[in-house]
Amino acid sequence: MTTVGLDITRTGWVTTFQDLGRRDTERRGVPTGGAADQHSAAVANILVGNPRGATLVENLGGELAFVPDADVLVAVTGAPCRVTIGGAPDGSWSPVVVPAGQEIRVRADMARGARNYLAVSGVLAAKTLLGSAAPDPRMGFTQELGARVLLESGFRGFRHSHFTPPLFRLPVPVLRCPEGPWVIDVVESYGARSIPGVRELIARSPYTVTTRSNHVGLRLDGAVRHPDTNAEIVSHGVPIGALQIPHADELIVLGRYRSLTAGYPIVGVASRASLPLLGQAGPGRELRFRWVDRETSVRRSAERERELRALERATDEAFGALGFAGYLIPQ
Amino acid sequence: MTAAQFPAIAVEPFGDSAVMVTVPRPDPVIRRTAIVAFRERFLAHRPPGVLDVVSGLESLLVEFDPLETALPHVEYAIHLLAERLPVHEQPLSRTALRFDIPVVFDEETGPDLLSVAEEVGLAPAEVVEAIAESTFTISLLGAAMAPMMDGLRVPRPVRRRAEPRTDVPPGAIMIAGTNAIIQPFPGPTGWRVVGRTPHTIVDISRAEPVAFGTGDIVRFVPVTRDEAAALDAGFLLPVEVSA
Repeated sequence: MTTVGLDITRTGWVTTFQDLGRRDTERRGVPTGGAADQHSAAVANILVGNPRGATLVENLGGELAFVPDADVLVAVTGAPCRVTIGGAPDGSWSPVVVPAGQEIRVRADMARGARNYLAVSGVLAAKTLLGSAAPDPRMGFTQELGARVLLESGFRGFRHSHFTPPLFRLPVPVLRCPEGPWVIDVVESYGARSIPGVRELIARSPYTVTTRSNHVGLRLDGAVRHPDTNAEIVSHGVPIGALQIPHADELIVLGRYRSLTAGYPIVGVASRASLPLLGQAGPGRELRFRWVDRETSVRRSAERERELRALERATDEAFGALGFAGYLIPQ
Repeated sequence: MTAAQFPAIAVEPFGDSAVMVTVPRPDPVIRRTAIVAFRERFLAHRPPGVLDVVSGLESLLVEFDPLETALPHVEYAIHLLAERLPVHEQPLSRTALRFDIPVVFDEETGPDLLSVAEEVGLAPAEVVEAIAESTFTISLLGAAMAPMMDGLRVPRPVRRRAEPRTDVPPGAIMIAGTNAIIQPFPGPTGWRVVGRTPHTIVDISRAEPVAFGTGDIVRFVPVTRDEAAALDAGFLLPVEVSA
């Protein structure tokens, strides 16, 4: 292991350390938080030989750039974006080497998706709160990068091989961010029964993400309906992805940094398999909702998980063949 | 704790990876105490695949990984734990700690003190006295680990503010219903602000950001502004228990 310095030359609108979130902290009032697009974050880490939950960098908007003082193995995932290394265009969703002294730049395209993830092979030195590097703005834990980031890395380049990137042919499950409206799968919940016709209304109406959206939730413009009664709902726990209808005429989809309890009708909960795409939805994005049953929803999650496991096996083999298995941090 | 405390628990699926547990009984006091007792038992006998829980006032959201377990298994475990008393009830994982928390109650630290007094038909000094004489139990940790307590003894439950305050400072002591809570970080609240402690309630630089947990006992001790300043109060710790 050697310590590598990454000189941060540019940051985006919001650039932070990130991971897959906290475990078992919601019972103590702290939302799990973590990468809004968990799929892209996990894939970025797998592509550089890290465990899925390793600390990485999440960037929203603008341009992220740094210069390492030793060769580093990097992968950029998330929304479609422009990646250059030393000025030359390079690919995302693939492991790439950034040579010592060269600058990698990641330019976001907010029209296509909100967030990019950048993983570096090794362990990034970041503070943790309750066992996780994920920021929690409510608790004053901001996790900005600073001017220089340190990395403990076992990466020794590709010198054991004639391989040069980008020659990897890995089965990478790329997140699709299509041009048109994004279709989000939703499982009905009992709140729908208190509002007659809301299920049909949501299935046929277009919704647009507004600028008041953030990591707490997406606030959507579009048709809503309220319960007939004014009966107060006692504040209760709410899951990630809950479709909530507040007193105003809007629909809110709760994110990973939601307030853990709320007292509004919840008509459905987005399928786990749809959450990564919701994490990429920026202002102006049009969403459509599709009701699915619970079994279908879980099956899609299982398919995603199989893709991630296949990628883990393939990267293990590829890195093993290149001779640097064992230099990477252990699973 | 007896089995009769968990009569006919209700379990509602909530999306593909959570269920909502409630105790459908007409008396809100039974609903609330039963769900707290169920939560402790559930966490002490946590079924595999259950990731986390979120406490509501009268409900418990149970979050699970649907690739590690399945909805019917989670529902079954919940009913089993609710309806059948374990032969040997697991002792609580920790013994209750005691916290004596110094609080400045005046017009500046407690801007809602006067209106609360009018509402419950007491003088402001009597409201302070009622708070000081109440023994609170921490029933759950709210947003950002804020200790949510039950046990306020006033003539009638205190209403929330119609218009929430937008920027309440850390350390603010707030009440609503028969509950009290302490604001850990600056932020909004609909609770009635009645005082402020000089202690740091939540410190994110510590591996364990709080010293308290559910079931712990809290008393509020009125102090003057000068006494509070002289305390040099830091991170809130429990009362030392003499051996």
